[in-house]
Amino acid sequence: MESHIVSNAVVAGLLAGLAGLVLLIRRSRMWSDALSEIWHRRRLAIGLIAFYVIVALLDSVAWVGGMEDGQDAVARHQAASVIDRLFADSQERSYSAPLADFEFYGGAPLRHPGSHLLGTDLIGRDVLYLSLKGARVALLIGGLTSLLAIPLALLFGVPAGYFGGRLDDVVFFVMSTLASMPGLLLLIALIMVLGKSTLAICFALAVTGWVGFCRVSRGETLKLRELEYVSAARALGISESQILLRHILPNLMHLVIITFVLMFSGLVLSEAILSWLGIGVDGSWGQMIDQARNELSRDPVVWWNVSAAGVALFGLILAVNFVGDALRDTLDPRTARETE
Amino acid sequence: MLAYLIRRLVYGVGVVFGVLFFLFVLFFTVTSPDDVARKALGERVPPAVIEQWKVNHGYDLPLFPGPGAWQENMLFEHYRRMLTFDFGRSDADDTPIIERIRSGMVPSLTLTLPLFALSLLTAIPLALLVAFFRETYIDRLGVVISVLAMSVSILLYIIGAQYLVGRLLHWFPISGFDSDPQLIVRFLALPLLVGVLAGIGGDVRFYRTVFLEESNTDYVRTARAKGCGEGRIMARHVFRNSLIPLLTRVILAIPFLFMGSLLLESFFGIPGLGAITVDAIQGNDFSVLRTMVYIGSLLFVFGQILTDLSYGLVDPRVRLE
Amino acid sequence: MGNGHRRRSWPALLFMAALFMAALCGCTNNPYSEADDQRKILYKSYREAPRTLDPAVAYTTGAHAITGEVYETLLEYHYLKRPYVLIPGLAAALPEAREVDADWTLYRFELRKGLLYQDDPCFALDGVSRETREVVTGDIAFQLMRLADPGVNSPVAEPFGNIRGFSEFAERLSEARDADAEFGALPIREQYAAVGPMQGVRVQGRYGLEVEVSNTYPQILYWFAMPFTAPVPWEAVAYYDGEGGRPRFADHPVGTGPYRVTEYEKHSRIILEANPNWYGVLHPEWRAPGAIYPESGAPGDLEAGRLDEAVVGRALPFIERIEFRREKESIPYFNKFLQGYYDAAGIIKESFDKVIHEGGLSEDMRATGISLEKSVEPSVFYVGFNMDDEVVGAAGGESTRKLRQAMSLVIDTDEYSRLFSNGRGVPAQSPLPPGLFGYDPDYRNPFRQVDLELARELVAEAGYPGGIDPATGTPLRLTFDTSDTSAQGRLRFEFFTRAWRQLGIDVVIEATNYNQFQEKVRNGAYQIFMWGWFADYPDPENFLFLLWSEMARSKSGGPNTANFSNPRYDELYLSVKARPNDSIRLAEIEEMRGILEYERPWIELTHSEAYSLFHGWLAYVKPFGMSFPMTKYRDLDVELRARRRAEWNRPILWPLYVILALGVVVVVPGILTFMRERQ
Repeated sequence: MESHIVSNAVVAGLLAGLAGLVLLIRRSRMWSDALSEIWHRRRLAIGLIAFYVIVALLDSVAWVGGMEDGQDAVARHQAASVIDRLFADSQERSYSAPLADFEFYGGAPLRHPGSHLLGTDLIGRDVLYLSLKGARVALLIGGLTSLLAIPLALLFGVPAGYFGGRLDDVVFFVMSTLASMPGLLLLIALIMVLGKSTLAICFALAVTGWVGFCRVSRGETLKLRELEYVSAARALGISESQILLRHILPNLMHLVIITFVLMFSGLVLSEAILSWLGIGVDGSWGQMIDQARNELSRDPVVWWNVSAAGVALFGLILAVNFVGDALRDTLDPRTARETE
Repeated sequence: MLAYLIRRLVYGVGVVFGVLFFLFVLFFTVTSPDDVARKALGERVPPAVIEQWKVNHGYDLPLFPGPGAWQENMLFEHYRRMLTFDFGRSDADDTPIIERIRSGMVPSLTLTLPLFALSLLTAIPLALLVAFFRETYIDRLGVVISVLAMSVSILLYIIGAQYLVGRLLHWFPISGFDSDPQLIVRFLALPLLVGVLAGIGGDVRFYRTVFLEESNTDYVRTARAKGCGEGRIMARHVFRNSLIPLLTRVILAIPFLFMGSLLLESFFGIPGLGAITVDAIQGNDFSVLRTMVYIGSLLFVFGQILTDLSYGLVDPRVRLE
Repeated sequence: MGNGHRRRSWPALLFMAALFMAALCGCTNNPYSEADDQRKILYKSYREAPRTLDPAVAYTTGAHAITGEVYETLLEYHYLKRPYVLIPGLAAALPEAREVDADWTLYRFELRKGLLYQDDPCFALDGVSRETREVVTGDIAFQLMRLADPGVNSPVAEPFGNIRGFSEFAERLSEARDADAEFGALPIREQYAAVGPMQGVRVQGRYGLEVEVSNTYPQILYWFAMPFTAPVPWEAVAYYDGEGGRPRFADHPVGTGPYRVTEYEKHSRIILEANPNWYGVLHPEWRAPGAIYPESGAPGDLEAGRLDEAVVGRALPFIERIEFRREKESIPYFNKFLQGYYDAAGIIKESFDKVIHEGGLSEDMRATGISLEKSVEPSVFYVGFNMDDEVVGAAGGESTRKLRQAMSLVIDTDEYSRLFSNGRGVPAQSPLPPGLFGYDPDYRNPFRQVDLELARELVAEAGYPGGIDPATGTPLRLTFDTSDTSAQGRLRFEFFTRAWRQLGIDVVIEATNYNQFQEKVRNGAYQIFMWGWFADYPDPENFLFLLWSEMARSKSGGPNTANFSNPRYDELYLSVKARPNDSIRLAEIEEMRGILEYERPWIELTHSEAYSLFHGWLAYVKPFGMSFPMTKYRDLDVELRARRRAEWNRPILWPLYVILALGVVVVVPGILTFMRERQ
């Protein structure tokens, strides 16, 4: 199947899922209260994240056709996203400073003078375009990996905590084994096996990242199991799966959300390091930074590509961290603050 | 206590066996012995030489134990060698790996030990300070700065520091290392600075959360109501009782001090274990990579046991059955 | 009240402050000990640890930077003369050549008497208590046998096959080892003795050597100026076996040269010191050509200060010590050069525009006393097609040829050069670089000038109108295989793929790690690749052989990675190989060039140009072009260097005070306010 059709389908699915989530949340009083409080406290950060999400979505909706103009004869036959189309045929030959009319070195006139908001890179690609495309990659890395790691952690952690016994021992052993291998090295070894496609890297990141949350969910499940109403449910003879789904899991949701948000930023930062080692994802901000970091020593300095990627990366991580903090303060009963 | 210790040790050994198995599967299915041989010997090598090399390095046996011959296979060899610390030679240049580890350990420790101490000495007091002044602008500022600091990739810290401090201000050499006591401080100053800066955001946030949690507990609120000074509360009650989560984080980190920091050593040219690991990654040297992962695992298991032991020392409520 | 807390944190803060002050006292960015400031030490850097220093195997520039100083050969290159000229090194004179019969030529070498190896414990083998011994021609014969030894696996065994009896020796050795396992366990020297010497290598007494070489390979003489033919003591090979705590011979060179290795931490630093046993130091009265500074040179040397009265004819070496430091990253390396901590450097592309203005040094650079030497290196970089491949290779005949020609027509070398090497380098029209016989500066390869219209026509004629592959209805898809996975390497490949996209051809980059890349090459599973070649010696044969069918990767694992095979080209090559530099050779080379132009197995990119920077305190530098270090001819002014370094590296401390002040200003009012409020 064409990859852009898959991508479009995933985007549609995500939107539908989001809509469904919103509906679900509005039904529960506790949740709507908690989330609206977070919204009030972190409007700016949430807005920023929303901006990134929208950009990523725009970059995921792609179709073939309509790219006949331009030097790139191959692009006519390939799928182009909304972002691609906005910046179609914006190529220059080499560096140009933001909003410049002439090339940075050599002074030749640009093909599109004054139209590059963030300048162009070594081979003339518009830096704003590259930064926007990086959003999709970052959200994929953070989002997809977390979506893989968290269910995996729940799948192993909850039954281990609930049923205990042999299952618990096995799960604990597997967890310990994986956890005792230095994360970065394990990651690299896995990537060598699985290849360097985005999916493979996300999968490898998930495998090295699920253990932390598994431990937490196991611990929480252990605590929840001892609650009165759970014991009552068991005594009443309600099936285990019902108990797990209706009593245990919902009470883990707040941890899930917090973990999702906090893992996200760590993953995106890890990818930057992977890019430096040469095994990162194509088109990521980490790769942009790596490509351009030596350019800071040019004289006069070429600062716009590293800055753009660095700021884009920083912005997303910062916003996510702030929201994550607020989420934890609101949802995690252990850190509920005293009211003045 | 002793029974507990023994049980933990046995469990630890089990984990190490599991790790070794995982490593074996990973490293011996990823690349064929032929590839490793060619990488070490070069391209235009007659097959006979490759066969010889494989025999010399133990790559010519079957992978898994077959019927009857449970010793003559690579899995057994792998276990035997790793457990006896017979690491063999590097795939890339045939240096005995033990040599490289020995030569890399000291530079790594000269970096990680001071880094560890400095990070603790800066983060804990700062976190205490911020928790002490909670709800004031110092607290808010502290949180914002911490989050800001955490959100910057360590790569950017390194690049920035090398440019600013090394090149523009001429305070310290940009990179390099010399174990001569006269010279060592100037080489370590910059990586230490960067290491502390890069970690301080996350550390302060973590410790602050722990301290805040603790200072909201009933007994602390009681002490406050009784009129006990905030400072004393912080020092005597909050700090002491936060030790368990603190210790977990701190003691768990100790064994990894031996492994060195991959990024710092690589960028600043410190020839420690981290640099060796990065070289192995970029040079596809599986023998060295395998050894480093194994050592890391050993250290981690050791660290976990240490942590559990320390609980008993610190918190009399914890009964180690 | 708040006292308990204060008491807690002040000690910590004081401690930090103390540590900081201590660090400040060591506040300097000099990476070397101050005690070394007054010594004549040359500081260089390297990127990768050398794989091996065994002169029979070492084939990289990095390894030669060391083996070239430690091992010496019968012949050497004259330091200053261009075109390159051979002079006697360890030999007493240039060899006599005599044609023995229709097939063989005899070269007779006479070794100098009284040459000694560096002091080394390996010579105490055999129970004799001594630290060194005299060099004899038997040692050179020993090295030649090592080159043939399949166990040593020398990468240059092939050209040495032109020595009579070379391959036969290798065969005898293999057979003896296969026949008897115990034979293979004997010491190497005994194995060689048992199998018998090579027919074409005859040792005569202690100082005579006769070598019989095939008539078709006069270039063999150049190999006698490379470490591959250096005398190697059998004691070193036997003693340094990697057992019992001893390093391997590949990590412990034992030579006769002006320098010897005294410290070898190859992953971080390497130190060479002047060798007191070098013949130039022990016997200055010989006035040997390789031990005194040359008395004549090439035009331009006088003006450049390389033929000063003060130095001409003086005994070498001048520099007492060479220190190498490993620099993995290019920016710190270049910055240290600018700070004066490395004495010479190449220019990195990021700093190019600061350093070079309009082809020469910028004002700032010249003011610091740095000088620039440009030299076009005998090299060629190219993009190659795998001629064995169905889609792009020879099997497609006319159609694939047009495809290759079209793809060659859209690569703009000037632009490539401008983006990735700051415009340095000569755009290549054919494999032969400037400076070699057969190079024609006026020749323009019609397929190396950009012509988009023509390229589009050719693509259509090749069967892919608009770049569309009729079989699939989508753009033709080709793969560009490489082992460069770095983010910066990607930019380079993007440049190429963007050019080909103009034709509607979709070239996909397949970057894998080195292992997997070599695997692809071995299996012939590649279509387009990129490569570079540096000359071993200054003869066109050393470039033309890269397209000889016998050297095809698929056939013999040779360096003809394009697997180019053209009978007429092969015919001409064999003729060119053996010819002296006459008009017939020129005509043949031109015909070969024509074949390559038409068939396009390569898209030639550039002949690289090295811009080397030298600090003002370094004297008598002349870049060499091929990878031979010539440190013995160089000198430095230590006073000047120490002064300049101090001047350039004064620490700037005011930002520190500003930060401290800021810190106090921010925190103190807060604390005061809080104390007031809490009371």
